[in-house]
Formats: sequence, structure tokens, C-alpha cells
Amino acid sequence: MTSLILQTASKLIVPLALLFAAYMTLKGHNAPGGGFIGGLCFAVTLILLRMGVGPEVFNRMVPLHPRVLVFVGLAVAFLTGLVPLLMGYPFLTSYVTDLQLPLGASVHFASALFFDVGVLLVVVGTSVGMILRLSQEVEA
Amino acid sequence: MPDQPVPVSSVMLMTAVFAPVAAGIITLFLPRKRTTLRVLISLAGMALAFGLVYAQVAQIAPTSAAGRAGTAVIPWIPVLNLNLAFLADGLGGFFALLVSGIGVLIVLYARGYFGDEPDDLYRFYPTLGFFATAMLGIVLADYTLLTLLFWEMTSISSFLLIGWDRYDKHAVKLAMQAFYTTGLGGLGLLGGILLFGLETDVWRWSEFLPAAGEDSPAWWLPEYGEISWTNPMLGAFLLMFFGAATKSAQFPFHYWLPGAMAAPTPVSAYLHSATMVKAGVFLVARLSPVFWALDVWPWLVIPLGAITMTMAALIAINQHDLKRIFAYTTVSQLGLLMCALGLGALKYTDHHNNSFSVINWDITQIANHAFYKAPLFIIAGALGHVASRDITQLNGVFKKQPAMCITLILAGFALAGLPGSISFQAKELFLYAIYHSYQTIGSWWLILMAAAIVTAVCNVAIFVRLTTTVLGLPGGMTADMGCPAHDDHAHHHHVDATGFWGSMMWVPAAVLVAFQFIGGIAPGVWEYFIRPFETNINYEGFQYLPSLGYILADTFKEGPSIPLICSMIAIACGLILGFLPVFRGAIKDVCDQIYPTVYWLAVTGGRRAFMLVQTGNFRTYTVMVLGAFLIGFAGSVLRDPRIIDPVYEAMSRGGEFWPGILLGAIIIVTALALPLTDSRVVRVLILGACGFAVVGMYLVYRAPDLALTQLMFEIISVLLFVLVLRLLPRDESKSRVPRWWRGLIAAAMGIAFGWMTIVAATTPRDHTLTEGLLLGEMFARHSYKGTELTAGRGGGGDNIVNVILVDFRGFDTLGEITVLALAALGVWSLIPRRRSPKV
Amino acid sequence: MTFVMAVCVAVVFGVSIYMLLGRELKGLAMGVFLLGHAANLCILAQSGSPVLPDGEGLKAPPVLSHGDYEAAAHGGEALSRMVDPLPQALILTAIVISFAVMAFLLTLIIVSARKTNTLDINELGKEQLPTPSQAH
Repeated sequence: MTSLILQTASKLIVPLALLFAAYMTLKGHNAPGGGFIGGLCFAVTLILLRMGVGPEVFNRMVPLHPRVLVFVGLAVAFLTGLVPLLMGYPFLTSYVTDLQLPLGASVHFASALFFDVGVLLVVVGTSVGMILRLSQEVEA
Repeated sequence: MPDQPVPVSSVMLMTAVFAPVAAGIITLFLPRKRTTLRVLISLAGMALAFGLVYAQVAQIAPTSAAGRAGTAVIPWIPVLNLNLAFLADGLGGFFALLVSGIGVLIVLYARGYFGDEPDDLYRFYPTLGFFATAMLGIVLADYTLLTLLFWEMTSISSFLLIGWDRYDKHAVKLAMQAFYTTGLGGLGLLGGILLFGLETDVWRWSEFLPAAGEDSPAWWLPEYGEISWTNPMLGAFLLMFFGAATKSAQFPFHYWLPGAMAAPTPVSAYLHSATMVKAGVFLVARLSPVFWALDVWPWLVIPLGAITMTMAALIAINQHDLKRIFAYTTVSQLGLLMCALGLGALKYTDHHNNSFSVINWDITQIANHAFYKAPLFIIAGALGHVASRDITQLNGVFKKQPAMCITLILAGFALAGLPGSISFQAKELFLYAIYHSYQTIGSWWLILMAAAIVTAVCNVAIFVRLTTTVLGLPGGMTADMGCPAHDDHAHHHHVDATGFWGSMMWVPAAVLVAFQFIGGIAPGVWEYFIRPFETNINYEGFQYLPSLGYILADTFKEGPSIPLICSMIAIACGLILGFLPVFRGAIKDVCDQIYPTVYWLAVTGGRRAFMLVQTGNFRTYTVMVLGAFLIGFAGSVLRDPRIIDPVYEAMSRGGEFWPGILLGAIIIVTALALPLTDSRVVRVLILGACGFAVVGMYLVYRAPDLALTQLMFEIISVLLFVLVLRLLPRDESKSRVPRWWRGLIAAAMGIAFGWMTIVAATTPRDHTLTEGLLLGEMFARHSYKGTELTAGRGGGGDNIVNVILVDFRGFDTLGEITVLALAALGVWSLIPRRRSPKV
Repeated sequence: MTFVMAVCVAVVFGVSIYMLLGRELKGLAMGVFLLGHAANLCILAQSGSPVLPDGEGLKAPPVLSHGDYEAAAHGGEALSRMVDPLPQALILTAIVISFAVMAFLLTLIIVSARKTNTLDINELGKEQLPTPSQAH
């Protein structure tokens, strides 16, 4: 399934797309974006990469089984909820602050970001995992 | 009320209720071989219950106002009007003593009956204790729903005890028959209690019953006393009475009681003669002071009781198995009790112009039956062990088993209601009640009297045959009078025929029978014990229980009364019938077929319905679901045709944004094109096109997050479809004939759904739950900063959709990503990874 | 706009039902896919028309500008100038979930096709229906 054009293009596109996915996730609380979109974007990129470089190279580049992502993602999301519970707040209470950076800049930060990262990991793991399994089946 | 200290009597009665089952559970921890200790602990449980109840009724006179008040409440489930409180009034207190007292004797008898069989006793005593607790709960509970709870528990324990022999399929079937019949009645009782409680807000028997001294509690009478189908009191009464009638084996539900004789005899003697079957009588007696005011009461209760009484007596005389004979006489006696309670609703005015209810000494009636019927069963079981339960096989058994036979004859004497037993007085009282009812029901009383005489004749004849048979006298039953009845299951027990435990086979019966004759010969003693429980002592001349001497003296002074004449006629006819060679075969009861027939119909009907509905075809299910939906939708349209108005309204404003119309057109065209194409690839591409048009629609609706997500989703989905199509075989059937019914259903569903979309989108929202704000408005307001509505906490984000996802509805999202993970797990496990050959 | 949306919902839903009632499993899967679209559009229609009441352009997307609710509300309630965010949030998760469900459904179809060697629903229905005696 690998073609030269795709192979070449993916080298260019994949880093950009991953950057875009990360941007979408991080910016998601304040502008269109978020864990679901970022996750799907990430997944599409990874699938593109796999189609570009082929299974062997892809497996070397990404040695993780997607189920690890799903597990870690669920754990992160759940722990984000659990931490406020331990501090006496209701489950999943979000903590909002403005982080002061040097040069007078500040970053608005909500702890819900961790939750979003969990969502992202689950979405990536699920989508990539299912597509990969089916393509392995086709290739077999 | 939780702060109020729980008074002693509540705890006392609760301990009494739970003592038997507690004792039974303790015995489970004993080593199996410790039989004697087992017996003693079970005995202690019953005795403790008896003692506590006795202490209670001795302390507070049960028929006084204090006795009728009910104990303090221990809260349990207050919202359901279900709390722990107990009521040991005359009726309840007496029943509790009866249950625990006979329980003591049955514990002893069971040891004699089962012999030294550790396995049987290991299982039997806890079950018996469970039953005793349930029964005590019924009669002592003050909350109506608590009574129901225990009522169902007796059904369960009865089921366990009837099906005692787990390997006997017939017995298990009979146990289910009893369970379903009484369980159905339990549902009726539940309905009745709820209906009454919701209508009147009375959930306690102590509030339900009239206070002492008050004549009628029927405050609801002007409103509800008359017969009308919309009368909730009538409904409540009928439902509760249905429960009572099934439990007390009234015609035509009596079939379960003779069937229940599959149980071991201690169970038959305890549950199915003395206690559980009287739960229905108990309930009717509980209801009687209030529901006597209903017009329907006498016309329902009296005929049902009379029919049951007569029919069962006639069947009883035509049986050969001792347990079946006594089972049918039990049914007969239950009918009599029911009939007596029915008569209680009627009024009698004597020549002093005193008006009173015709019922009299009703507790004595109930006690009388327990004191002779339990002994009859006990001896039937004992004879079954040592000889046979078939009366035709018992000719002359007296020579071998004199003690048992004497007890049997004495108990039979009471069954016949002959002078000298309390049974005679009880029958007199019943006949008086019938005689006195002529003032209210006219000449119907003659029919009732005839029924009573027929019943009495049968009972006397049964007594005569029992006596002549066991003594081996002429006129007794002999072995050539029919095929031998089925064998007693209990034969395999290794029973001590002699010694202390051997005598326990008949001593408990003798103790009970003794009460009969104490009452018959010395009514004063009986009265001393029973009088405190009686609430209905109405007749002149019967303020004290009449002794035999009194009745004779009265007869000499004023000539024989009509009830006495009837009684004498019955005895004479019974003696003659007892010796006549008629009615000696063993007949079958047609009502035995009711349950099997209903069962067969239910199973067959259920199977047919199953085959009809559960075809295993996805399309059938889909059509059924959609059809139900369409019928519902059509119904709501027909109910309010103005539901079409929002559609016109929306149509008039449909053209406000032309790019939207364009995108809509693309969606519609691509969707419609899908079923028209055959090629798999084209179809997937069309699906993709449709999806991209939907993305555009999301943009029109100003949903950037959705548009981005849908875009990614479309890419992955198309990929998914392509992969899957490569894994699937090609279609073998090319006949894609468009079926008109598919199109019809699809069109109807589409129209209904589009219609609903408009109606839902244009109906004003209900703001009441969100402090006057639309839910979306509330999320928008608190997306960044909190207000007092959210306790000052905001989401800290500008993108409201994302804040909703990860903050306001974060828990929901957590659940959804869990679903994602599960779906992935499903895919991975359904298509396991193939190991590459090199590994 | 609501009417346009309703017509879309009606057609997409109708087609999906038509596909669901068909005999072959692939069509059924596509029907489920379309069903997701129809449901999402139906929910989105509940946010009302995105056209401003005065007919001048569209409402704003549900994004605040630096946390300024007042600016979005513009003196009144924010939803008069901004689309309702709630249906969007509901649909967003629904899209991802429907992807997972689709994948699972398609996997089931693959497995069942391998086991039974058919894609015809009626053929599937004839198999392994428990007989009453087994069901009892």
C-alpha cells in the first residue's frame, strides 16, 4: 500500500499535522478544539503515517500497542477527577489559574487540560487500534 | 419519631417474632449428629416466642384500649409506610400463642416423626423456625405492609416444606401449585393494602381497627359503603379478600391444600391445618370489624364459606388416604370459619330490643379447630409410619397401637362435634348464628342450616368410620373397599417405635386433644384462658360459654332450641351414614385439574407467543419497534391535531439562509442516492459525500468543534468502511427488488421524525429547573467565571462546548471514553491478532 | 433553517430505516451510519435557527472572547446572539462514540460472516433459534 508520493508527502505532512493536533488540544479550552478533535486529528495522522511508510517501519517508529494509550488515557482522566476528591472537592472539580511567565506574559491554565489529554489518548488509542487491527487482517 | 426511646413491648414482640428463626439458624451450626441439642434449641425458640407473647398479653389485656393500640414504632422504611410495630390484640395475640404453642409440640413431634435422621432434622428445624417467624409476623405485625411481607414469607416457607422431598417430582409440582396459588393471592393482598392505604392514609392495623368501645369505625361509610365499581373501598376489600380466600383454601382455590399433603406430616399438622391456612381466616377477621359495613360482605363471604364447607365435607367422606380425609375436612372447617365471619356482618335484635352482630365467641371457633385437627394429622402421620395411611388398611390396628388409636378416636370425636368436646359448643354457636340470621336474610338461613347439617353429617360419619375401622368393629372399612392408596413416603425413616422419642409420635396430639375435652367438660377453664381474647360476646345466655349441663337444663326448661334440634338431627344422620355402605369409594376432586389446566394454558400460550414474537430475525424486531413507535405517534397526532402548526410556522421561515438550503439539498440528494446504487465503492463514496455535507451544515450552525470532529471522523470512517468491505464476501444475492412496505415504513418514520424535530425545536423550554435560565444559557454564563448559582466556580474556558465536555459534564465524558475503550477491546478480542509465521 | 434541517432529518432518517429493513448486513451497517447523522442533525436543530432574528447574518459560535460573558450577552441573554452550546457538546461525544460503535458493528458483521458464511439477515434468522424445549 505504500506509494512513493505518499511516502514523500507524509514526511512533510505528518510533523505539521501532529503539531496541529497538539495545538488543537492545548488551545481547546478557549478556542475551537479539544481532546476529541485533537485525538481524531492525531489518529488520522498516525494512520496516514502508516499508509505512507508501511507496517514494518511504522511498528519500529511507534512500538507501543494502542491499548497502552487507551489504558493510560482512562487512568489520566480518572485520576484528574480523583485528585480534587482527595482534596475535599467534588469529583472532577477543575482548578483554574493564570500562570505567570517571564516577560510579563501569562498563560491561562485549567486543570481540565489533563482530562482533555486523557480523552485524547483514549480516542487516539481506540481509533488507531481498531483501524490497525483491521488493516492487519486485510494484509494477512 | 427516631428520638423516642423504643419501649420494651415493641422489642419484646419483635424478639418473639424472630425467636424461632433465630433458634433455627443456631441449630445449623451444630454438628449434624447432635440431634437432641437441636431439638432443645428449636424448642427453646418456640417456647421463648410463646413466653414473650404471653407476658405481653398478660401485662396488657389484649381487648382493652391499650391492647389494641399497637406498640411504638421502630422506623424501618418510613417513606414506604413500612415500619416495625406490633399489635397483640385479642385476635393477633391469640393467634401468636396458638402458633408458638403448637410450634413447641410440632418440634417434639418432628423428632418422633423423622426419627434419629440427622440430615432431615438438620434441614427441617431451620425451615420450621422460618415459617413460625413468618406466621408470628403476620399475626403480630401492626403495619399492613409488614403483614404482607410476612405473608409472602409463609408462602415461601410453605413451598419449601411441601417440596420437602426434593427428589420427588410430584411433590415439587404440588409445592409450586401451592406457591403460585397463594402467591397470586399475596399480590391481591398487596393491591388491596395499597389501595386502602392510598385512599385513607391508614397503614397500621391499630389505626384501621375501631378503638375499644366504639361501635363502628366506618367513618368512610357514607362515602364508600355502597356497591359500585368505582368504590375504592370495595376494590381494596375484594383484593384483600382474594388474598385471604386463596390462603385459606376457599372454593375454587382449595385445590392446593389437599395437594400440600405431599409435605411431611409435621408440616401438614402445623402449616396446613392449625396455622398457615388460618392466615386467611385471620385476615378476614382482622378486616371484619371495618368491612362488615360493606353491603357486599355478607353476600360474598357467607356463600363462599358455605359452598367450601359443604363441598369439602362431601369430598372428605369419599377419601381413603387419612391425610386427604383430614385435608378436606380442614378445607370444610375453613369454609365454616369464613361463613361464620361472614355472618358477623348481619344484625340480630332480640326480644329485649338489643341489636348485635350474630357472631359470637369467634376465637373459640378458631381454637376449636386447631385443637382437634392438628392431632388428627399427627396421628395420621404416626399411623403412616407404623402401619398405613390408607384407612382401608387400618382395620383392627387398635390392638397394635392402642395409644395412637385412642388419641385418634378422641380427636375424631371432636371432629364430629359430639357433646363433651368444645367442638360441640362451637358448632352450637355457629348454628345459633345461622338461626339468628333469619332476621336479616330471610329464608336463606334455611339453606345455610341445611349446608351446616350436611357438613356435620359428613363429619360424624367420618368419625364413625374411623372408630369402627381402627377398632375392627363391624361397619368399618376393609381392605377390599378399593385399591390401596399410595404408600407413605415416610416409611424409610428409622423411627424409634418405643421409648421417649417414640411416644412423641402421639403425645403432642394427646396434649392438644386434652384441651378439647377440658373445654367441653369444664367450660369455665376454657373460658378463663380464651375469654380475654374474645371481642364478640353478644348473645344473651352465652355471656359465659355454655356448658353441656347448661344446654341440657335449658332444654328441659324451655324445650329444645332449633339449633340443638338441628345438631341432633345431624348427629343421628351421621351415625346412620357412618354405617351405611354408601360413599365409601375414593373419588377425585375435579378442582384438582384447575392448576394443571391453567399451567398448561400458560405454558402453551407462552410458547406460541414466543414463537410469534421471537423469530430471531432482525427485521421482525425492527418492524415491531417501528410499528409501535408509529402507532404511538399517530395516537398523539390524533389526540391533538394542532401539533401540525409548528410545521407550517417553520416552513414559512424555511428560506432565510440560502447556503443552508444548498447544503440541505446535497445531504438529501446523497442520502437518497445511497439505496439506488449497487456498487460497494460508490456507496462508500456517497456516504462520505453525505458526511461532508453534514460538516458544512455544522458550519452553518456555527459549530466549529463539530465540523472539525466530523471532518476527521469522515476520513477515518471511509477508511474503516473500505477496510471492512475488503474483509467481507461479495453479495451473493443480486435481487434487490425494492419492497413497497420497506419504503412505506421508511417514509412514515422519516416524516414522523422530521415532524418531531420541528415540534421539539420550536416548543418553549421549561426553565424551572435551571433558575429561569435555559440550560445552554447557564453553561454560557458560567463557562469562564462562576456566579452564586455555581457556588462561585466557573469553568475557566472560553470555548463553552469544550468546558461543557470536560467540566460541566465531565463525568459523562469519562463514561463515554470508557465506552470507546470497551468498543476497542471488543474489536481486538473479536478479531484476534494473527501471529506472523516467523515468530 | 429549522425546516430545512427537519427535511434533512426526515430524508436521512427515512433512508436509514429503509437500509435497516434490507436483507444484507452491509446495507444495514450503512443504515446505522446514516442513523447517526440523522440523530446528530436532529439534536443540532434543537439549538434553534442560527440566523439572527433580524435576518442580518448568523449568530456567533459558542466561544467567549477572553471570558467576557457580558460582551457576548450584549446587554441581554447570550443565546440571543450566540448559538446554544449544549446540543453541540452532546453531538461532539456522539460523533466519536458512533465511530466506535460503527467499528464494533462492522467487526461483528465480519465475524458473523466468517462463522455463517452469509450476509443475508434472513439466513441468519433461521439458524440457532432456541427450540421451546431448550428455552424452557
